[in-house]
Amino acid sequence: MVGLRHARAVVLREYGEPVCIERLSLLPPGPGEVLVRIAASGVCHTDLHVATGDLPLPLPMVLGHEGAGVVEAVGEGVTTPAVGQRVVVSWMPSCGECFWCRGGRPDLCERAAHAAARGILPGGGTRWRDAGGEPVHQFSAAGTMAEAAVVPAACALPLPGDMPATSAALLGCSVLTGTGAALRTGRVQPGERVAVFGAGGVGLQAIQGARIAGASQIIAIDRLPERRDLAMRLGATDVVDPLDADPVVAVVDLTEGRGADCTIEAVGTPETIAAAFNAARRGGRSVVVGVCPPEVDVAINAFALPSQGKTLTGCWYGESDPARDLPQLVEHYRAGRLLLDELVTRRFPLEEAQAAFAAMMAGQVARAILVP
Amino acid sequence: MPVFADRDQLYRVLGAFFETLPDGPHGPLIHRVGGPILFVFHRPEARILWEPLAGGPPEFAVHYDTEQPEPLLRFEQDADLAHRFWQGDLDLQDALARQQIRARGPLARAMKLIPQLDPVYGAYRAFLQADGAAPA
Repeated sequence: MVGLRHARAVVLREYGEPVCIERLSLLPPGPGEVLVRIAASGVCHTDLHVATGDLPLPLPMVLGHEGAGVVEAVGEGVTTPAVGQRVVVSWMPSCGECFWCRGGRPDLCERAAHAAARGILPGGGTRWRDAGGEPVHQFSAAGTMAEAAVVPAACALPLPGDMPATSAALLGCSVLTGTGAALRTGRVQPGERVAVFGAGGVGLQAIQGARIAGASQIIAIDRLPERRDLAMRLGATDVVDPLDADPVVAVVDLTEGRGADCTIEAVGTPETIAAAFNAARRGGRSVVVGVCPPEVDVAINAFALPSQGKTLTGCWYGESDPARDLPQLVEHYRAGRLLLDELVTRRFPLEEAQAAFAAMMAGQVARAILVP
Repeated sequence: MPVFADRDQLYRVLGAFFETLPDGPHGPLIHRVGGPILFVFHRPEARILWEPLAGGPPEFAVHYDTEQPEPLLRFEQDADLAHRFWQGDLDLQDALARQQIRARGPLARAMKLIPQLDPVYGAYRAFLQADGAAPA
């Protein structure tokens, strides 16, 4: 019998205000849920979007949506993972039953989207309670910026024992999203030329995905020199400073005047989305993975749609099916094709979550990790 | 590194070239566009306006840094790209589709000029070869 547990967590109470650390109560996992003791949680721009209100979600909320840890308890009916199993926490509790899940797109699951928008678990409600006994929401059915989290069992994916938790945490979002943008949505083929706009947490993984796919040229566009350097270490063949040159002109020039076969936008501004579309070659593909606030529109040239025949699309989670894709990514990691340890450049205790956000915003870290 | 180091250099090169056009064979064609044409440049930031004159030649005047509230046509582009365009090294349709050049106004009037610009491109290339005109 699992009883009430207490855990410290990074809680957002007001948009635009600093996050705070609270000691919350955590109810036992319900049917189909597991309690995970979190060992590491990635700090992602999407958490920041929530904190600023650019991605408005119900408050108060425990932030964090990529993490790794150990299963501490399981709810009714859970056969896997087992207690003691190391797991990666994914933020996509797809139901397996809706139109999209049955059609092979669990990343578009209706029930998961419904739960995420309400800051609850698919099973209903949230297991967090604050000092006053009031419910505290959790980000995308994950809420990994905490000492522990109750998540759907389907979101706790078994992890091999030899992978550091700090690296494994990245698999939960940025790796699946970034590599998926290149490998699945972008369908990068061997020998193709790829341009990645934004070399942050997701963009760097898109670069790795393009490299794994066999791209012959990978152009990374980022305003920060540290990120451009890191992009080169992870597989970029060329880098562009958008403050120094028009990135569309630069990409077109670097691709024999054609534009890239595939461009991936990992910033989330209307300007970079338009630039990524404009930098793709005629008949090429442009994938938007950066997240803009919901009220933002993008202007592209209408004539370009028929005259250049490009595909403009996007993806929310790299079109990933975490249960299917995670084992393959672990294999890439073990074989040295997917570099993750190098990205964990700084660890912060939970109490310094706000400092971790600041470091990410300043480009001082490739990926900040919170270690409870 | 931008082709034009600063606004002054852009005006010394591209601006000076533009000033050769009002008295040349293409002056009347440009005049027939029918209204002011504003070029807005970035990297470096600069603005040049062609204002049609009555009873030319010269067919139009070249103004710098002017604020024309409602030009007939407005072209906004990176200065590097403008440098390429006037040398004939840019596909205008492609540049418009890629939003490398943003046009506002009745573009068709300007597009009528395009097939006749080949000699102008050559003139700009020759102009760049002149002493001290070519940017670094």
